[in-house]
Amino acid sequence: MLITSTNNTEIVKAISEHVNKNAALISIGEHTEVDINALISDLNDYGIKFMGGIFPRVIHGNVVLEKGIVINTLNDVDILYVIENISTKNYSIPEVSFDENKDYSLFTYVDGLTANISHYLGKLYENYGMQTNYFGGGAGSLTLEQKPCVFTNEGIFQDAAVFCILDIASRIGVRHGWNKVEGPFIVTKAEGNIIKEINWQNPFKVYKSIVEKHSGKTFTADNFFDIAKGYPFGILKEDAECIVRDPLMVNENGELVCVGELEDNMVVDILNGNEATLIEASRKATEDSLKQATQPRKAILIDCISRILFLEENFDKELTTITETIISKFPEVSIGGALTLGEISSYGEGFLEFYNKTVVVGLFE
Amino acid sequence: MKIENHVLNILQLYEYAMAIGKSLDYKESCDLFLKLVLKRKNLNAAWILEPHDSYLRSTYAIPFGVEINTKLSDDLSTLLRDIEISKIIEANAMVSTISPFKIHGGCVAVFNLKEQGYLFLYSKKDNLSHKDLSQLEPVIDKFSINLKACKAFRQQQMLLHSLEVQNQELSDYAHMVSHDLKSPLRSIDTLTTWLKEDYAEKIGVAGKQQINTIRNSVEKMDTLINGILDYSTIGKNKIEAYPVELNLLLRDILKIIEIPDHITVDVKDLPVVKGDKFRLQQLFQNLISNAITYNDKPAGKIEIGVANKDQYWEFYVKDNGKGIDKVYYEKIFEAFKKLENNVNSTGIGLSIAKKIVDVYGGKIWLESQINIGTTFYFTLKK
Repeated sequence: MLITSTNNTEIVKAISEHVNKNAALISIGEHTEVDINALISDLNDYGIKFMGGIFPRVIHGNVVLEKGIVINTLNDVDILYVIENISTKNYSIPEVSFDENKDYSLFTYVDGLTANISHYLGKLYENYGMQTNYFGGGAGSLTLEQKPCVFTNEGIFQDAAVFCILDIASRIGVRHGWNKVEGPFIVTKAEGNIIKEINWQNPFKVYKSIVEKHSGKTFTADNFFDIAKGYPFGILKEDAECIVRDPLMVNENGELVCVGELEDNMVVDILNGNEATLIEASRKATEDSLKQATQPRKAILIDCISRILFLEENFDKELTTITETIISKFPEVSIGGALTLGEISSYGEGFLEFYNKTVVVGLFE
Repeated sequence: MKIENHVLNILQLYEYAMAIGKSLDYKESCDLFLKLVLKRKNLNAAWILEPHDSYLRSTYAIPFGVEINTKLSDDLSTLLRDIEISKIIEANAMVSTISPFKIHGGCVAVFNLKEQGYLFLYSKKDNLSHKDLSQLEPVIDKFSINLKACKAFRQQQMLLHSLEVQNQELSDYAHMVSHDLKSPLRSIDTLTTWLKEDYAEKIGVAGKQQINTIRNSVEKMDTLINGILDYSTIGKNKIEAYPVELNLLLRDILKIIEIPDHITVDVKDLPVVKGDKFRLQQLFQNLISNAITYNDKPAGKIEIGVANKDQYWEFYVKDNGKGIDKVYYEKIFEAFKKLENNVNSTGIGLSIAKKIVDVYGGKIWLESQINIGTTFYFTLKK
């Protein structure tokens, strides 16, 4: 459900009617004119259980909005959790008891601009392992200024993650559609989200030489992201699509600042994509999730904000491809989601990963 | 394409290999390497089992799951015996019994880590092949060496910790006992002084002599307690190190020590060393006092000198005394070990000297010939 009202009473009433006695997943476009603290207080007064995040944009059906609140029902949620201090790794993951005969889906929103998100995902997997599917994305502002962006009944948080475990099965498709231009390279030195060396050389020098040649464009003092948004890095996985890392800027030392963490000695390619490959990837991701689904009730899309920045007006085609593919098989399924700062999923049910420039389609039974 | 695959394979091996040996903590080492393998190969789980006596116990698992402590059945023994280096097996019911979590279908790659047990990598999607085994075998061999080093390091840490605790306890005990002993000693000294003064006429000459004997014993015990206190405090505080002019220090020491007329002390030119003046004084003073105490010659000679040995100074204190039998060369540095019952010796001087040299990272030893003399050597870093 999409709420465009900015009146808290109307919002709370609409959410309450939509989720009935279930919990609510609330995705808010960052330009929505709403007092989030007041909204949290009103939702608590109404006795509604909820978790959510603030995103650069939200998705409802075929529409992408900077303003608006998208509501999804979270069926059969027992507890909603907040994990604070993600960047300092100073937290513990709560114990959950799973019934071996049931299917579970863990849904998480994390502050997409905080450090050590991979550590958080690793901890989730350590604790819950194969007993659940994992799905979620990075919240935050497109200005890249870190501020409180994930929330539950307990309040709104920065440097934190919120999650819930749903007592339902989910089918997940993950694709990006970026292809190799040049590589492999070794990230010989990395620290957090900064690439400090590639092949023991200055990373920007290496990156520039490949990208300028391929794109026919020249990097200047102020056009780094305009070119780099089409040339991400891909961390190589064996026999699977690589994990994309999005270079955001080049710092004064010629080091590349990315969205998402990198580690020493990672093997990477420099990638490039185009409208056709990206849209094709979104179709395949949708088909991957549909292949396994039997009776999905809703679809949640977690699509990277940088795909819309790259595809621009053609992003509509990606969204239409996804929604039409879903509706062609399950016309009754409601579709909502967010454009995120990083995407989360257990790729092919394996170890949890944090992606960039990727589309994750989740169908919930 | 084939060459490109080889290059990729080598680079992937490079990434795996570089993740090994970054830590000496067992869990952290496993995390760094095995999480990487799970991510890159898109696998679901990894765990390590070690056979102990007739049981199989889990030492690491990702995800955590439950702890495995299973009796090794004949079937399990056969299964593990069959894994010479590595093998891919079906994730069947038997494997399920030794898995920390429920596994449904797929396959498991098992690697023999030798003394470190067996590593299990689980793929729900059955995406492990013999190519993966041959790729991973060399790095997993390196990983098992890393695990061995982690265990050795852990044992060393535990031993060191235990030693530190014991040393601290001993030191605290010596310090406490010494303090407690000093108080009654002071009372005895005071009371015997009063007794000698207030009852001089009643106790007579013989009584005064006995009181003197008591006071001599008290004085000796006081010296001994001071020695224990000194011994227990060396190395307890941060080592002070500043330049000390040894020529001046020795001149002061020789003024303090009572040197009998029949003994001459010859001090060669000594350098300036880095250390704590009080401790260095204790060191030289104890060695010189020892040389005086055990000198039986009508013309006793003591020589103090130094040799310049590149990275360190090698000092010596040489005498022409009684000499020491070779069997006592080590024992002599132990606290309260006296080779003869000399009333002027507490038996702690040489152990204090050794402890000071130890604290400064040097060595102390001796060379001796019976009836000819002894030379104590010690080194101090430059």
